[in-house]
Amino acid sequence: MNIDPFLAWVESTALSQWVIGSPSMFAFPGILTFHAIGMGFAVGISAALDLRILGVAPGIPLADMRRFMPFLWGGFWMNAVSGVLLLIGYPTKALTNPVFYLKLTLIGVAMALYLRISKQAFGKTSNDGGISRSLKRLAIVSLVCWASAITAGRLLAYTYHRLTQLH
Amino acid sequence: MDIHQFQVWLVRTIGGQSPIADLMRTHWAWPIAESLHFLGLSLLVGSIGAFDLRLLGVAKRVPIAAVHRFIPWGLLGFAINITTGTLFILTEPDQYIYNPSFHFKLLFMTIGGINAATFYLTSYRRVFGPDAPLDAPRRAKVIAAISLCAWMGVITGGRLLTFYRPSACEGPQTALLLTCAP
Repeated sequence: MNIDPFLAWVESTALSQWVIGSPSMFAFPGILTFHAIGMGFAVGISAALDLRILGVAPGIPLADMRRFMPFLWGGFWMNAVSGVLLLIGYPTKALTNPVFYLKLTLIGVAMALYLRISKQAFGKTSNDGGISRSLKRLAIVSLVCWASAITAGRLLAYTYHRLTQLH
Repeated sequence: MDIHQFQVWLVRTIGGQSPIADLMRTHWAWPIAESLHFLGLSLLVGSIGAFDLRLLGVAKRVPIAAVHRFIPWGLLGFAINITTGTLFILTEPDQYIYNPSFHFKLLFMTIGGINAATFYLTSYRRVFGPDAPLDAPRRAKVIAAISLCAWMGVITGGRLLTFYRPSACEGPQTALLLTCAP
């Protein structure tokens, strides 16, 4: 499927040109910064939950970790929004790079794992006397997924083939 | 020796021609180091951030000392970033030492460091003592808020590095810190 016309159209929009061309700190540089901070919270809090499951800070009742999760979601949505804006700014750079699809897949898997983990960790009505071995395995896979997603994201800058369709 | 002269001396002394620099200039070294840098920052924000959030009242039922057990992992993240960061500076010293965004990054790191020291020197005993409250004292909350802001500042300073790369100096440089390559 030839997506070049679609890429050209996105790049021709005012929003796209604002993202990449505006001298405002809130355009490209600001969006990237927002994206880095969102990543810190989304991955960081998810990692904190995974670490707790793996035995770090055992004095925290597992169910109480739930209180930190709004910050994970805050980071996730910060990155969904800023990610879409970045995509609108450089659609060709992202959508013609296989590593971008890998990154999105890894994030999808990591979030799916998080939903599964949180269901098991926070859904328990009994005390968290036993954190099952399967939950610990999920926590490890979660950490690996996030680490891979971050790496894929960083490698985008080094692996893209085409920067733009139009200009 | 004034600050500008110190910066120039630092860049010249570091040089950027060491075996470490040679390693960092191979094809994958820099991307891998950057990826580790981002992993470290996530670990740091998640761990130290979780503790700061607890001080600010999140998960108020949990003893503050229990959440403090995350801190070593935050320090691990910090150690990963100091290491990878040093590798970057050793390879391209001028790109950092003359970069105003890097100056701000260092400033926020310093604020974070002084802030953390203040916490351990003042609030620690009250917050971790035998009758530690679940609601942290006001001073500890202020420290926690400053901590979060400082690390956001460090991330911002780091992300904006590429937009403030130093170019060749033109004309007299009168700012406190040199922000161009002489």
